[in-house]
Amino acid sequence: MGQLDRWLLLQVAFRSFFLQASWNYKGMMNMGFLYAIQPGLDRIHPEGPAREAAYARHLEYFNTNPYFASIVMGVTLELEERLARGEIAEDIIHDTKEGLMTACAAIGDGFFWGAWRPFVAAIALTLAFNNYLATPIIFLILYNIPHLYFRFQGVFWGYRLGTDVIRLLRRFQIQRARLALRYATVALLCYLIPNHVNLHTPFLITYLPMEWFFLGEKLVQGIGATMLVGLAALAYRAKIDVLMISFLLMLSALVLYHWGILI
Amino acid sequence: MGEGLWAAFIVALIGGVVDLDSTATWQFMVSQPIVAAPLTGLFLGLAANQMGAGLKLGLIIGAILQLVWIEQLPLGMNVPPDAALASVLSVALGFLAGHRYDSYVEREVCSTVALLLSVALGLLGRSLDMFVRRVNTSINHWVERQLEDGKTWAPSFGHTLGGAATFTKAFLFCFLVTWLGVEPLRYFTQSLNFAQNTGFIVIQGLLPAVGFAVLASMCVLSRREFRVFLGGIAIFTVLPASIWLALPLALLAGWLFTRTADGAA
Repeated sequence: MGQLDRWLLLQVAFRSFFLQASWNYKGMMNMGFLYAIQPGLDRIHPEGPAREAAYARHLEYFNTNPYFASIVMGVTLELEERLARGEIAEDIIHDTKEGLMTACAAIGDGFFWGAWRPFVAAIALTLAFNNYLATPIIFLILYNIPHLYFRFQGVFWGYRLGTDVIRLLRRFQIQRARLALRYATVALLCYLIPNHVNLHTPFLITYLPMEWFFLGEKLVQGIGATMLVGLAALAYRAKIDVLMISFLLMLSALVLYHWGILI
Repeated sequence: MGEGLWAAFIVALIGGVVDLDSTATWQFMVSQPIVAAPLTGLFLGLAANQMGAGLKLGLIIGAILQLVWIEQLPLGMNVPPDAALASVLSVALGFLAGHRYDSYVEREVCSTVALLLSVALGLLGRSLDMFVRRVNTSINHWVERQLEDGKTWAPSFGHTLGGAATFTKAFLFCFLVTWLGVEPLRYFTQSLNFAQNTGFIVIQGLLPAVGFAVLASMCVLSRREFRVFLGGIAIFTVLPASIWLALPLALLAGWLFTRTADGAA
């Protein structure tokens, strides 16, 4: 239908990897956005004032989730084509871009930063604490499956469907996926907390008979770690900085070690 | 001295590439501590013929830093502490300062001190990041002016310049810190009385609790989730510690509780 072929859209998708290279306080990802769709604009607008105007148009403020940005790019290219044919006015592009980038930021940030990355990180931590040396590779492969899917498909969806792309996104049920990922992360945490906060006290060796030692150690670890995590979580909820909490924890650990309560 | 320069150069190259990944380009999340730290450990270990030791150190430090900074999000104007540079540098400093020691405790003290130091370096990295972003803002103004004069090559040139600025910043920062930092760190850890300092190992064991707390605060939002959370901890305290139990149970929990949540709604 359009004049942009598959190869050119792929080029846009590849260029979208460099979206934030010139992130700045005024236009945020504006230069990156222009850089990414530049091959498309060059194809659509002949050299001269029309092309310069298009460049200037896309140097305006742009900020969204980097993985979902390629959807906005596809839609923008479709609109630019219609503008070149004289079907729509310039401000429609501006308004659509603005609406779409807000929506994509909300969906993308919520899914990737709020749910997917913590979940994959929790899996990676589970593996790392068990000394699996391949952990980084597993983390990278798992994390990048949806990333690359949305980044490459996004341009094509946006270009083919135009603004209808929002309806397509609804089909993914991202809200539900987020909830499921959150529960899975909580379950992994339940495994990590009692098993991988190392809390050893000499009292057990002194007072418990040998056959009860391992159970006692596990219980002390579980209960102690839960209390510690609870305390830290309370401090975090009270808006104390993470580094401050870590520092306090280290200090108390050293004091408890000095008194011989922890080993 | 030549060896130190080489090591600093390797670290600087890794730091530059990894820092590009953190926000500027790609975002494959190589910049996450759980990847960046083992990567640094792998390369430094290869250079020193201690690959296994480097990789293991990287994995431990990566896991701890991942937990400390798990909630830092690159949203809008928010510039998070530079976790990527912190992980690269803490592994670099810890490994280079400690890899000649034979005893486990001495190495551990080196890596723990490097870890604490690198957290401060991560905060410094954030200030550098903000500086580069201000440079980018000037580039943006320049590009706008050039475009008004009809120079259509300006946007892509300015954009590339911004990427180059990010790489240069990370490269120089890592190079200088590694080149100048390893020897002082070694002297400092030597001046500590190693035999008295197994307390550092206690610290490393407890530190994950902070990250778990942050992650729990992010994920446990409703009362129902809190009950699931406490029940889960109780179950896993009694169950044997095996990931082949934990991973399937986690996926099951995700599926099951989402289903029942939908039914309730």
